[in-house]
Amino acid sequence: MISYQNLQSVRWRRKPIWMPTAKSKLYRIPVKPVIPEEEKEEIKRLYNNYRTYIKSIRRFLTYKHSVLLMAKSDTEQLKKAFDEDFMRCKEINDKWNEDLKKLREERVAKQLQEEIEFAKNRMANLIKQKEQKLAEAEEIVRKEKQMVGTFITPENLDEVIEKALSNPVDYNFAIDLEGNRIIGRETKPEEQVSVKQ
Amino acid sequence: MLSPSSGIGRFSTKSAKVIRFVRKGCTNRPFFHIVVAERRREQFEPVIEQLGSYDPLPNENNEKLVSLNLERIRFWMGNGALVSKPVEQLLGLAGFLPIHPTSYMVAWRNRKAAEKEAEKKESDANSAS
Repeated sequence: MISYQNLQSVRWRRKPIWMPTAKSKLYRIPVKPVIPEEEKEEIKRLYNNYRTYIKSIRRFLTYKHSVLLMAKSDTEQLKKAFDEDFMRCKEINDKWNEDLKKLREERVAKQLQEEIEFAKNRMANLIKQKEQKLAEAEEIVRKEKQMVGTFITPENLDEVIEKALSNPVDYNFAIDLEGNRIIGRETKPEEQVSVKQ
Repeated sequence: MLSPSSGIGRFSTKSAKVIRFVRKGCTNRPFFHIVVAERRREQFEPVIEQLGSYDPLPNENNEKLVSLNLERIRFWMGNGALVSKPVEQLLGLAGFLPIHPTSYMVAWRNRKAAEKEAEKKESDANSAS
């Protein structure tokens, strides 16, 4: 809703702006004002001076009256507010730090324990592996020791050759229809007749 | 309800303000309020504050009456309000600000015109006699 109480009607003297140029003024050419050079210079000088004055006055008034500047420049108040805020923040921060310290210490202790355990396990494993390897090596040595008696040496070389020659080994074999192995190249099957049936 | 010149205009803190005239007369009878308003507002909208008045027609004692609230003008200028050219001229003549260049300009042009007039009169008188 618009309240009409505050409206003041103004009677204008001009014709409205959307009306066309009057016929009597249609071909009128307005005369350009001619300002002499000296006057121009003088006006320029005056304006420069005036602007400088206004600038300085404005600055003076700003320092004296500006609300924003005052709020900014009240350093004591600002410092106090800053300190209060800082102390509040510090308290919160200290509390957080304490909580975190507890958690951290717990975590570190736990981690240390875990690491110690891990190291112990590793040591035990290493010892176990070593023992195993030693046992394997001993087994090998033991076997070798057993084998020592059957070794061929230059002393018993002739003897062994003699033995090998006197005991020829035939690895050939054949398989009959029942799947029996018949060892030897020259051996004949004993029950030829039964097979034939 | 307060009248528009009582300072009921709404404004934001950081908008541009200007100290300017508002025409409060009627036809053939100009009268101005000196007000501070937001720069983008139109002339007859409610203003932020009235800072004075100006009657450009001389009264029976040949005086043009001006009233100014200088304290508030100082305050508003200190808070960044601009000043329109006619108000600057008026404040210059009132001695609050330095005289505006256009005032000097008007003065010397009037002076020159008067001199010319006088010379013309003299020459006319000489030729007549």
